[in-house]
Amino acid sequence: MFKYLLGRIGAMLLTLFLVMTLSFWVIRLMPMSIFENPEVSPEIQAQLEAEMHLDKPMIVQYFYFIEGIVTRGDFGTSVKVRPGLDVFDILAIRIPPTVVLNVFSLLISLPLGIIVGVAAALQRNKATDNVLSFLIVICISVPSFVFASLLQYCLTYVWPIFPTLYDSQATTFGAQLYSMVLPIIALALNPIATIGRYLRGELIETLNSDYMLLARTKGLSRTQATIFHAFRNSLVPIANTIIPMITGIMGGSLVVEKMFAVPGMGGLLIDSILAGDHFLTVALLIFYSAISLVTILIVDISYGLIDPRIRVGGGK
Amino acid sequence: MMIIEKGRPLPESLANLPDALFEPVGAASAQDEAFKTEPVGFYRDAFNRLRKSRLSMISLYIIIAIILLALIVPEITGYSYTQQNVKAKNLPPKIPVLENLGICDGTQVLTNRKKSSLENPRRFPEGCVLEILNEYDVNGVTVVDVLVDAYAYSGVPDDEYHWFGTDYLGRDIMTRLFRGTRVSLLIAFISVLTNLIIGVIYGSIAGYYGGKVDMVMTHFAEVLDGLPYIVVTILFMILFGSGMFSIILALTVTGWIGTARLTRAQFYRFKGREYVLAARTLGTPDRKLIFRHILPNTIGPLITRSMIAIPGAIFSESFLAYIGLGIKPPEPSIGTLLSVGQDVLLQYPTQTLFPAVLISVLMIAFNLFSNGLRDALDPTRRGEDV
Repeated sequence: MFKYLLGRIGAMLLTLFLVMTLSFWVIRLMPMSIFENPEVSPEIQAQLEAEMHLDKPMIVQYFYFIEGIVTRGDFGTSVKVRPGLDVFDILAIRIPPTVVLNVFSLLISLPLGIIVGVAAALQRNKATDNVLSFLIVICISVPSFVFASLLQYCLTYVWPIFPTLYDSQATTFGAQLYSMVLPIIALALNPIATIGRYLRGELIETLNSDYMLLARTKGLSRTQATIFHAFRNSLVPIANTIIPMITGIMGGSLVVEKMFAVPGMGGLLIDSILAGDHFLTVALLIFYSAISLVTILIVDISYGLIDPRIRVGGGK
Repeated sequence: MMIIEKGRPLPESLANLPDALFEPVGAASAQDEAFKTEPVGFYRDAFNRLRKSRLSMISLYIIIAIILLALIVPEITGYSYTQQNVKAKNLPPKIPVLENLGICDGTQVLTNRKKSSLENPRRFPEGCVLEILNEYDVNGVTVVDVLVDAYAYSGVPDDEYHWFGTDYLGRDIMTRLFRGTRVSLLIAFISVLTNLIIGVIYGSIAGYYGGKVDMVMTHFAEVLDGLPYIVVTILFMILFGSGMFSIILALTVTGWIGTARLTRAQFYRFKGREYVLAARTLGTPDRKLIFRHILPNTIGPLITRSMIAIPGAIFSESFLAYIGLGIKPPEPSIGTLLSVGQDVLLQYPTQTLFPAVLISVLMIAFNLFSNGLRDALDPTRRGEDV
């Protein structure tokens, strides 16, 4: 297990290094000066460029860049979106809302998806199942940002139940969360449907197995047998859907955050790309990769907890 | 010739049949009866199964209808997708026939207008005010909400119709929406096709040759796959700039890996089969073994996979449009229309409504159709979900 973990972390660091290298070269190879401000005199511009090592050859810049990140955690300075601020400091403020949004979406989608899946499987081919399956198809197909628009229009404008935008003045975590309810729902619908669909399929297959017959014979009701026996065996296939789901949620959150003005990484990424603030963009991409890689690692390790029969990293 | 059964004599009528009635069976008439039915091949069979699934067929018709609309509508609306009209900004939808029923009749509620300004023909042209809804007092000024005929209010001729309304530059949204659908579908189809071609070639080579070649190729794909998809896509869009070609390229960078993995797995399954060994023994060249003998086994899963990838590509295109890396401005796509509409969602909801409905219907249809297609091509997996 320990050896496996070490290997996985090694692979993760390698991937991060690749992301760093790739983003550095992609962004620096663009025929575009980092400073494109006509108001700044050429001398000051030259001085600034010298300070950020921009006057040296590309390859030297690359080593400065890597050295800065590895030794000092220095990702450079924002030049356009928040001129003069250290990129790392900007990120320290911007990352928490994104993480809260993503984690909550994932957390509510697990139990809800399980309820949907179990309900659909128990009521197989009855009205409940048909309605749920129909909703599942819709929730899987329709993109999260379309749901976000719909929710925003219906629940904040037509029936003003929730605030339209993220409440950055909120003092308590609860109030903050309240203004994030709609983005969380918009992001969670797709994962709920995905889990529901898988679980339904798995359960229906399991319901015909011998041990389910045994469970029924020993006196358990159909619901009891499904929840205590069939459900546990369906957890592993569901765990496999969680990793692509995380990627989906994180991608969707980039857009949904912007729509609800959540001051997270999404809006910042969009701003920095549009403004051409390259240091910021690179740092955001690196952090974005790091967050998704760490989440995937956690899910991977938790397989062993879900099903003790799976020995993570076990040999032959 | 007498047939005698033990213990039971034949009836009189049969026992005395004359031998002349019997003749020896010749070789010609001893053959089996020929099949009366046509032989049904695998794809024919799959097609028959597909045709029986009502849901998939409806989805297929919807997809075809949307493709046809995308091809035809932009040519016949009478507006071009770039044609701007400053007067006709942000008009609500107005559709002939339906307007008489009170929906999509080009009316709009304007809130918080001074009541005195309603008399001013320069602000409110003759006959545009249909109904005064609320009347209230703000600091001694009477303020009203009015229902106006937005077309008359903006001074657009009465016989001008914008079925889905117009955007902030006065461009006809229906024309732009279906032209955008064309663009989005084109991006989806081309990127999926490119992924298919690259993936099949890569996977075939890795799977067929195996050994060191396979190891290197698989590791390369693994490393590439480890990079977060969105990060790679964004980087490529930044590198190549916005535009259709770069979107396709960005969707291809990591998109082919799944296809390659699938193809490789199929090659490992089939390359050791007896019929392949037989063909190899007969001196069949590698190229022919790969394409003629092994690859056809992969076609079913590949078709399913590609169909499922199409809505994914449409989604990615809209996603890129939202984060400002979409298609270049005058050219519309569903994603850019959605993101532009989002900015004025609360004032002009119809600008988001039509693209949102279209992309939703399109994605649902593609998903249902690809589910049906998978069930048809691989009946043993019927009901499972990919």
